[in-house]
Amino acid sequence: MAPNRQQHFIVIDDSKLDCFIAEKIIKNTGKCESVISFLQAKEALEFISTNTLSSLYPIIVLVDIQMPVMNGFEFVEAFEKLPINITKNYNIYVISSSINDNDLIKVPKYSSVKQFLNKPLTSNNLSALLTKD
Amino acid sequence: MEKIKVLYIDDEQNNLNGFKATFRFDYTIFIAATTTKAKEYLRDHNDIKIILCDQRMPDQTGVQFFEEIRFEYPEPIRMLITGYTDIESVIEAINRGHIFRYIKKPWTDTDIQSAIEEGNKFHLTNSLLATKNKELQSAYDELGKFAYSVTHDMRGPLLSVLGAISIAEGSNDIAEIKDIMGMMSLAVKKLDEFITNIHEYYNLKRGQLVFEAISFNDVLNDTAALFRISGSVDNIRFTSTVNQQDTFLSDQTSIKIVLTNLLSNAFKYQQRGKTDKFVDVNIDVNNGIATIFVKDNGIGIDAQHIDNIFDMFYRATSAETGSGFGLFNVKDALNKLNGTIEVSSAINEGTIFKVTIPGIPNGAK
Repeated sequence: MAPNRQQHFIVIDDSKLDCFIAEKIIKNTGKCESVISFLQAKEALEFISTNTLSSLYPIIVLVDIQMPVMNGFEFVEAFEKLPINITKNYNIYVISSSINDNDLIKVPKYSSVKQFLNKPLTSNNLSALLTKD
Repeated sequence: MEKIKVLYIDDEQNNLNGFKATFRFDYTIFIAATTTKAKEYLRDHNDIKIILCDQRMPDQTGVQFFEEIRFEYPEPIRMLITGYTDIESVIEAINRGHIFRYIKKPWTDTDIQSAIEEGNKFHLTNSLLATKNKELQSAYDELGKFAYSVTHDMRGPLLSVLGAISIAEGSNDIAEIKDIMGMMSLAVKKLDEFITNIHEYYNLKRGQLVFEAISFNDVLNDTAALFRISGSVDNIRFTSTVNQQDTFLSDQTSIKIVLTNLLSNAFKYQQRGKTDKFVDVNIDVNNGIATIFVKDNGIGIDAQHIDNIFDMFYRATSAETGSGFGLFNVKDALNKLNGTIEVSSAINEGTIFKVTIPGIPNGAK
């Protein structure tokens, strides 16, 4: 693990403010090669399935659970159906304000989801996630 | 009042005829000489409320018959007619819950009548209880949905603000801090909108309807004023026509909730950058029925979501902020007024809502 590696980030959240917060915190880590935000999960999925971002390290995706049209779980399900040579380049983290057990129980069922993060995202829990793998 | 439907089963044709002759004025009587025939009646008439059956039948006993049908037809009240000789099996049947009561042979008209009346009362109480249970279940389901959404719709904006504060604290750039404040204010507004919607919802649920003469001109002006103040009408051509000659009695609060939410959506879900945005309201009161059209050329609603837009917390788009509560409240208000709502919509072309509300006839307040 290189200490100073630069990574790509994708943020998916229907709240503009939450995207902004995530972008800020990501940039402040100093380990950010690029960050792109999507207000709609569908657009993020399209981006991922056609994306040509090249990276030595997995691209980190932070996805909100409760969103209209396509929610976070639906996104993860659709993501897991993508070809392995795409999915292997991504690490998915679910982030939510939910304290609902039904949501939290679901998280471990998705093999592509690395971890559940509570909102609001903070520099501490983001750094913690970047230092382990 | 509709007559109570009674099914009487006895293998002696004389008894059947006598029973029908005696009670046909008070009740709707079905008579069956065999349990097979009785089952046919039960199948074809699901509103039979009372079943009287003789214990001594050639193919099966009354108790056996009741045991057999009670799961398929649990609702009708079961009563057994029998002589003292069968008392053991009767006691057992009562204890096992197969029958409501027994009538001793030979019976008198009063025996039968009082048994039917009592059975019917019991049946009514049970059905009322079932209705109440259903209502409770739906209230409970709503509460569940509500509790779930509270974590997102109320906690969400709070956590966003919290996150924004910590970023603002770490920034020395005034322009950036001002940006953050602007976004925080949006999050707070969203929370406020959600709380206002909950307030509307509980007003509708708990509130009594107050029927008064409605002037649609006034209601529409009040509603439109709200949007003018908030600037929602900016750059959107807003036209309205009201055609009301007659007095129209209805509940003003409910009508305002319907109009406010439909207009709010029409103004909110516009296509960005479009030059000729419009919202058009047309209200027509005719023959005691108010018909309201709210029309816009906004973003439209995707056909795959259109059946769900009236569900609580359902959101068909992530354009703009919304609570998923507005149209649910509209539907709820219209249910209370016996009104209806129809929607037709096409993506990027616009949406038309058609609402009809029957007025309360004069004097029937």
